[in-house]
Amino acid sequence: MFPRSRRRAAAVAAVVLTLALTVSGCDSGNDSSDANDLSGNRAGAMADFGVGTQFKATEPLSFSILHLNNANYPEKKDWLFWSELTKRTGVTLQPTDVPGSDYEKKRSLIVGSGDAPFIIPKTYPGSETPFVASGAILPVSDYIDLMPNLKDKIAKWNLQADMDSLRQENGKYYLLPGVHQDVWVDYSLAVRTDILDKLHLQIPKTWDQLHDVLKAMKAAYPTVYPFTGRWNIPQAGGSLLSTMGQAYGTNAGWSYQNATWDATAQKFVFTGAMDQYKQMLQELNTFVKEGLIDPESFTQSDEVAQQKLASGKAFVIPSNAQSLVNEYRPALAKTIPSAKLVKIPVPSGPAGEVKVGSRLENGIMISKKARDSKNFVAMMQFIDWLWYSDAGEEFAKWGVEGTTYTKDAAGKRTLTPDVNVVGLNPKGTKLLQKDFGFFNGVFAYGGSTELLESFFSPEEQEFQKAMAAKKTLAVPPPFPFNSEEREQATLWETPLKDYVTQMSLQFILGKRDLSEWDAYVAELKGKKMDSYMDLVNKAYERYKSDHS
Amino acid sequence: MTVGTRNRQRPRGPRPTRGYRIFQAVNGVILTVVVIVTLYPFVNIVARSLSEEHYIVAGQVSLIPRGFNLETYRLVLSDSIFWTNYRNTVVYTVVATLISIVLTTCYAYVLSKKQLKGRTALVGIAVFTMFFSGGLIPNYVLITSLGLRNSILAIVLPNAINVFNLLVMKAFFESLPVELEEAAAVDGLSTYGILLRIVMPLSKAVIATMVLFYAVSFWNSWFAAFLYLDRADLFPVTIYLRNLIAGATGATSAGAAADGLTQAAASIQSVTIVLTVIPILLVYPFIQRYFVSGVMLGAVKG
Repeated sequence: MFPRSRRRAAAVAAVVLTLALTVSGCDSGNDSSDANDLSGNRAGAMADFGVGTQFKATEPLSFSILHLNNANYPEKKDWLFWSELTKRTGVTLQPTDVPGSDYEKKRSLIVGSGDAPFIIPKTYPGSETPFVASGAILPVSDYIDLMPNLKDKIAKWNLQADMDSLRQENGKYYLLPGVHQDVWVDYSLAVRTDILDKLHLQIPKTWDQLHDVLKAMKAAYPTVYPFTGRWNIPQAGGSLLSTMGQAYGTNAGWSYQNATWDATAQKFVFTGAMDQYKQMLQELNTFVKEGLIDPESFTQSDEVAQQKLASGKAFVIPSNAQSLVNEYRPALAKTIPSAKLVKIPVPSGPAGEVKVGSRLENGIMISKKARDSKNFVAMMQFIDWLWYSDAGEEFAKWGVEGTTYTKDAAGKRTLTPDVNVVGLNPKGTKLLQKDFGFFNGVFAYGGSTELLESFFSPEEQEFQKAMAAKKTLAVPPPFPFNSEEREQATLWETPLKDYVTQMSLQFILGKRDLSEWDAYVAELKGKKMDSYMDLVNKAYERYKSDHS
Repeated sequence: MTVGTRNRQRPRGPRPTRGYRIFQAVNGVILTVVVIVTLYPFVNIVARSLSEEHYIVAGQVSLIPRGFNLETYRLVLSDSIFWTNYRNTVVYTVVATLISIVLTTCYAYVLSKKQLKGRTALVGIAVFTMFFSGGLIPNYVLITSLGLRNSILAIVLPNAINVFNLLVMKAFFESLPVELEEAAAVDGLSTYGILLRIVMPLSKAVIATMVLFYAVSFWNSWFAAFLYLDRADLFPVTIYLRNLIAGATGATSAGAAADGLTQAAASIQSVTIVLTVIPILLVYPFIQRYFVSGVMLGAVKG
């Protein structure tokens, strides 16, 4: 119809238009050559920045940052945090406010449309993966030499294997994670110790002991389900199964991942078909059959669960440090004043005395555009100081010495008399988070165990001591997919996970008998379980041979 | 004189049949049930907003407040961010409704004229947008590249014309007799004169309805504000509320609860809900009579 040249021109125009519509430039290739040439990006950077140095920009700088607005401490322009940060580092942050309720959605939108601020914090490990392919974020592993404090912590705390778990198929990682010195377990079970005392029972240390305790409670209070569950969003049984999975050597609940590393077999196996997973389901099914656990545990809302606890219709419930102090105890104090609630160390099971968790925490992505800024090096140094240096972490968490806290000769920190945070100083009238802007979840995460525990009540420190006595499991190796594998895996992962979740609930509640386990495994095979595991193991083998 | 043939009060109209009375009874029962079902959550929320936190958590508050106190009201009303956001909502709603009504009325009036050239195409364009849309990211890119980020225009312009409302108004205008406007034209009125002095007064009912629809929709909207606004002092109160209620349960990782992202107190949630709903509640009774009153006040004379 049209002459040849016109058609070709039209084809070229279509291609150009498509490329132009693809908003962030897909530029995955030439990073390694660019990475080394930082001569044009050093404006404002310190020449001698190292571990223990206070970062101070050589000229006033400002960087854009995505800021999660937490409803409990809404962002204020006059926070001492902002002004003191500028005073110490010469950097003014320009926050883009996002309500905490929809942070992930807004972040995806902003990064996907190429409009992202330079610094994108509050990104959990694994959630940076979708942005890698679009090239919108920087492969930060190329620039780790600009961050002496982070390198120092990785070396000091032996985090190399953890950092490796973040590597994508090209061997680079795209997230600067928050790092903990040690695995921090926060979630466990809370138990009514006054009932235990009444029935002359000890605090259970294993799931078998817990079973006996529940049976005794049921015998004494036959109309009550002693054990109830909560935190069922986004995953049914999220917290309960996660806590229990640790004891059985498997990943369950909100820790569920389709592939679990089997150290003896040196390969990955499908979590939902593991024997250990079946054992866990069996134990819970026994609890249900004996009327020890509330059948609504895995689906009810948090509010209903808390009501049951507060009205004495449940004695054991999943808990973390915050909910114990802020939710359960105040409610019980008014409804059942004689009640005593305690968070017990995670009960152990067939897997032994182990502590499961990751030492990596939510962290920072850097927008690709930041690389072209003339202040890029200064920005990396600034991030290194604020999030990874001891001084920066202390500042973000505790605030300004003399104003919000005092430090004695031994280095122990105490809040000043009129400042309160997480209930540590109930007489305080000003709140560290709300009024000063410190201990903000965007800036204050990770750090040494000493710093982490500095906010813990003595009771929580006891809990942590008991948990520290348990063995930390080795970090499983990564299995980074390339883009075709990722596409294929995405198609299979969600149906598999949904099916496992659905069937787990049915097995637990007795709607499906555990004798049908083999039939269930066959159904999983029908959902491409074997093909998925082959994909995973192949990716792992490839990574192993490429990078060992 | 015959004293006192008192006129007995007779019910107007024919005596209702038995079938009709049964219908009235059943109708009454069903509607009462509907009223209870829809009223209960509202009364519950009001009761909660006046109760003490721990009674709510223990599940003991249903219709009557327990531990009556106005503390939470005092707390929320003294939060300056709440007032800033509330003022934003009012401003956005008023401006947006105004713009929407003007634009919708103009477009609907024009479309109702059968002699308009290209009328089908214009209607087609409007209806097309009901089924197809650019998608989230293209819309975002469009609005930000127009420089509307962090401005009220990003809220009031993109959703100014709701096509459903447009079609309703168009149908209404079409139902007005052509003779009316012809008579006005003979009397010497221009097109704008006809629109403002003949058509508008007759359309009070439909305009009032549309004002209400638009106002409620803009009052409740949060998504456009969430997308295009980046500063906490520009957010409408719906985002403030959403953050309070969904902010904690939106946690995607176990660790999130530990940094203080625990649930905002149930009493604060209910107080904010009540304060957000009150203005709409107050406006409804005044607009409602327009639905009921007759439409055709004048008629073709002669």
